[in-house]
Amino acid sequence: MDDMEDTTIFSTLKSFKSLISGPDHSLLETEPAYGRSDLQKLYTKRVELEEAAERVRSHTSLLQLTQEKQQMELSHKRARIELEKEAHSSSRDLQREIDRNRELLLKIRRLEEREEKANQALNEQMENNKALKRNLEELHKKANVKDSKLTEADQMISELKDETRRLNQKIQIQESKFSTQNLEIQALQEQLDVQRKKYQDVSQRYQNLQSSHSISTESELKMKELERRLALQEQDSVIVKNMKSEMVRLPELEREIKRLREENCFLRETKENNSLLKEETEGLRKKLERVERVMEEKLKAELEKEKLEQELQAWENIGQAAGLNIRKPEDLSREVIQIQQRELNLKQQNYTLNSRKAIDEVAQTQAGAGHLKAKFLELKLVLLYVGQERDGMRAILESYDSELATSEYSPQLMFRVKEAEDMLQKVQAHNTEMETQLSKAQEEAGSFKLQVQMMTAELEALKEQHVSNAEKNTLATAEEVSSLRQKIEELEAERQRLEEQNNILEMRLERHNLQGDYDPVKTKVIHLQMNPTSIAKQQHAEEVEQLRLECQLLRDRIRKIEAGGGVTKDDTTLIIPPSQEILDLRKQMESAELKNQRLKEVFQKKIQEFRTACYVLTGYQIDITVENQYRLTSVYAEHMEDSLLFKSTGPVGSGSMQLLETDFSRTLTGLVDLHLFHQKSIPVFLSAVTIELFSRQTVT
Amino acid sequence: MSKTLKGITLKGSAELVAEFFSFGINSILYQRGIYPAETFTRVTQYDMSLQLTTDAKLKNYLTNVISQLKEWLFDCTVQKLVVVITCLETNEVLERWQFDLECDKTFFLPDQCKYESIQEEIRSVIRQITATVTFLPLLETACAFDLLIYTDKDLEVPEQWEESGPQLIDQSEEVRLRSFTTTIHKVNSMVAYKRTNST
Repeated sequence: MDDMEDTTIFSTLKSFKSLISGPDHSLLETEPAYGRSDLQKLYTKRVELEEAAERVRSHTSLLQLTQEKQQMELSHKRARIELEKEAHSSSRDLQREIDRNRELLLKIRRLEEREEKANQALNEQMENNKALKRNLEELHKKANVKDSKLTEADQMISELKDETRRLNQKIQIQESKFSTQNLEIQALQEQLDVQRKKYQDVSQRYQNLQSSHSISTESELKMKELERRLALQEQDSVIVKNMKSEMVRLPELEREIKRLREENCFLRETKENNSLLKEETEGLRKKLERVERVMEEKLKAELEKEKLEQELQAWENIGQAAGLNIRKPEDLSREVIQIQQRELNLKQQNYTLNSRKAIDEVAQTQAGAGHLKAKFLELKLVLLYVGQERDGMRAILESYDSELATSEYSPQLMFRVKEAEDMLQKVQAHNTEMETQLSKAQEEAGSFKLQVQMMTAELEALKEQHVSNAEKNTLATAEEVSSLRQKIEELEAERQRLEEQNNILEMRLERHNLQGDYDPVKTKVIHLQMNPTSIAKQQHAEEVEQLRLECQLLRDRIRKIEAGGGVTKDDTTLIIPPSQEILDLRKQMESAELKNQRLKEVFQKKIQEFRTACYVLTGYQIDITVENQYRLTSVYAEHMEDSLLFKSTGPVGSGSMQLLETDFSRTLTGLVDLHLFHQKSIPVFLSAVTIELFSRQTVT
Repeated sequence: MSKTLKGITLKGSAELVAEFFSFGINSILYQRGIYPAETFTRVTQYDMSLQLTTDAKLKNYLTNVISQLKEWLFDCTVQKLVVVITCLETNEVLERWQFDLECDKTFFLPDQCKYESIQEEIRSVIRQITATVTFLPLLETACAFDLLIYTDKDLEVPEQWEESGPQLIDQSEEVRLRSFTTTIHKVNSMVAYKRTNST
C-alpha cells in the first residue's frame, strides 16, 4: 500500500515535473512568438498552472483520499483482524464455556446421582434406624421383662432368704435334737455293746454246740462206716470160703485143660488130614468122571470104527462096481488128481495157445481165433466129460445108497450124503474155475484180437511213416533242434540261477566265517578255564560285593550317628579314632549320669522314709493326685476309697487349703462344720476324723 | 630259525605261527588298552619294535595257551584262534580278532621258502593290526580278553581246558585283514567289532 502510495506519489511528481517542463518546453518552443502572446501566454500559463495546480490539488486530494482510503482499509483490515481475533477468542471462550458447561452438567449429574445414592442411603439408614429403633424397643421390652423377672427373682431371693433363715432355725433346733439323740445313741451303743457281748457268748456256745453236733454226726458216720465194713468183711469171709473150695478144684481144672489142649491139637491135625482127604476124594471123583467120559468116547469111537469099516467096504465095493480100479480113497484122489492134471494140461495148453497167439499175432490172428475156438470146443468137451463123470459118480452114489437098505440107515446115509455133497461142491468149484478160465481165455482172445488190430494199425502207420519219412525228415529235425535249443536255454537259465545262489551262499558262508560261526559237527571251541575274562569277572563281582557291604555299613553308621547324636558304641569296621576331648567329655558325662542316678536313689529313699513316717505318725497317707490337690487316706479307713481331698489355694507355699467334696467327706458333715467352718482348723478336723474312724473300728 | 633255512618243516612252521600269535596278541592287548600301557615293554621282533607284557599272570596265561597251540599246530587239529574282548560291566562281546588256520597236511619241502618273505608278510599283518585301531570304536569301559581255539570235534580236551561258546558279537561289522602263509600253515586274519549306534 505504501509502495502504491509511493508509486502514485512518484507518478504524480513525474507528471507534475512533466507538466512543469512541458510548459517550459512549450515556453521554449514558443519563445520567438513575442508580444501579446506574452500576456496570453502568461494567462495561459497561469491558467495552465492553475489547472495544473488544481490537478495537483486534485491529485493530492486524490492521493490523500486514496491514502485515507488505504488507511481506512488498513484500519478496516486491522479492525477485521482484531474482530476475527476477537471472534476466535470469543469462539474459544465459547467453546471453553461450552466445555465448562458440559463438565458442569456432568458434575451436576454426578452430584445428582450422588444425591440419589445419598438419598437411598439415607432412606436405608432411615430404615435401619427404624429397624434399630424397633430392636431397641424390643430390647427395651425385653429389658423391662427381664427387669420384671429380676424383681421377681429378687423377691424370690428375699423369700428364699427368709426361708433359709427359717431353715437355719430349724437346723439349729434339729442340731439340738441331734445332740440329744447322740447322747441317746451313746447310751444305746453301750447297750449294744452289752448285747454284743451276750451275743458273742451265745455265739460261742452255739459254736460249741455245733462242734459237738458235728462230732456226733461224725461219730455216727464212723459207726455206719464200721458197720458197713463189718458187713463187707462177712461177705468177704463167705467169698473166701467159696474161693478156698474153688481153689481146691484148681489142679483138676488144670489137668482138664491140658487134656483139652491135647485134644485140640489132635483135632486140628485131624482137620488137616480131613482137608487133604477131601481134596483127594475130589480129585478121585474128577478122575472117575473123566474115565467115564473116556469110556463113553471109547464106545463111540468103537461105533464109529465099525461104521468106517463098513464104509470102507462100501468104497471098495464102489471101486469094484464102478470099474474105475478104485480100492482105496487114494485111488479116488488119484482120479481127482488126474482130472486136475488134465485141467492143468488144459490150462497149459491155453497158455501155450495164448503165447503162440502173442508170437503169431500179425499173421495168424484168425487162425489163432480158430484155434481158440477149437480149443474152446475141446474145453467144452472136457467140461461135458467132467460133468458126465460127475453124473456117473452121482449115479454110483445113488446106487450105493439104494443098495444099502438095512441097519443104521439114516446116520450113514447122512454121512454119505454129506460126503457126496462135498464132492459135488468140489466138482462145482472145479466147474466154475473151468468156466472162469474159459471166460478168461475168451477175454484174452478178445484182447489179443484187439492187440492184433492195434499192431496192424501200427504197421500200417509205420508203413505210412516210412513212406512219408523222406518228406518229413527235415521238419522233424528242425523241430528236434528247436526243442533241443529250448532245453538248452532252460538249462542255461537254471545254471545261472544256481550260480547266483551259489555265490550268495558262499558270501553268507564267508560272512558267517568272518563272524566266527562254526560247524558243530566238525569243530568245537575250547578255552582255558582260568582265563583273564573269567578272572576279571570274578574280581569285578567281588569288588562290587565289597563296595556294597561297605556302603551298607556306612549307611548304618550314618543312621546311628544321626539317631544317637554322637557316641556310637557299635562295632563298625570304620572306627574313627576318638580325640582326647571326646573321651574326656564322655567320662564327664558318665560321671554326671552316675551322680544323677545316685541322687535319684537317695532322694527316692528319703521320700519313702518321710512318707512312711508321716503316715505312721499322723495317721494319714498323703498323695498328690493332681497338681495342687492332695488326697488323704486314713489308717483307720473302713474302705480303700475313703479319702479326703484338699486343694491348695492361693500362692504356692502359703499353705491355705480347701476341702473338696468326696463321698467320704459327705459322711463327715458334722465334723466338717464343727472344725472347718466354726473352728477353721484343718489339723483339728483331721485328728477328729481319725478319732472317729478309730472309734468306729474298735468296738470294745 | 636262521635266515639260511632253505626249506621249512612242520615243526618250524608251527613255531613260527605260534610266535606270530604271541606277538600279535600282545600288540592287540597293548593297542586296545586292555592292560595299562605301563605294563608293556618294547622289544624288537620281525625287524620292528613291538610291545610285550611284563605282567606275570598274563605272561603265564599266554605261554600256557601258546604252548598248547603249538602242539595242536603240529598235529594240524586247530582251525581258528580267536581273541575275544568283553566288557566287564555288561558282559557283552565288543571285539573279536579271528585268525583262521589252514593246514596243508601234504606238506612237502618246496624249493624256495624264504624266511624273509614270511617275515615280511607277518610284519605287514602286525602293521595292519596297529592300523585298524584307528577305525575301531573306542573301548570306554573296563574290558577283559579271552582266547578261544576252534579245534576238530574229536580232539581230546586237555585238563585245564573246557568247552565254551563261540562268543559271537551281536550286530557286528567285519573287516578282513591280510594273511600270511608258511606254505604249510596259512593264517587269515580278520576283526569283527560291535556296531555302535551312531554308525
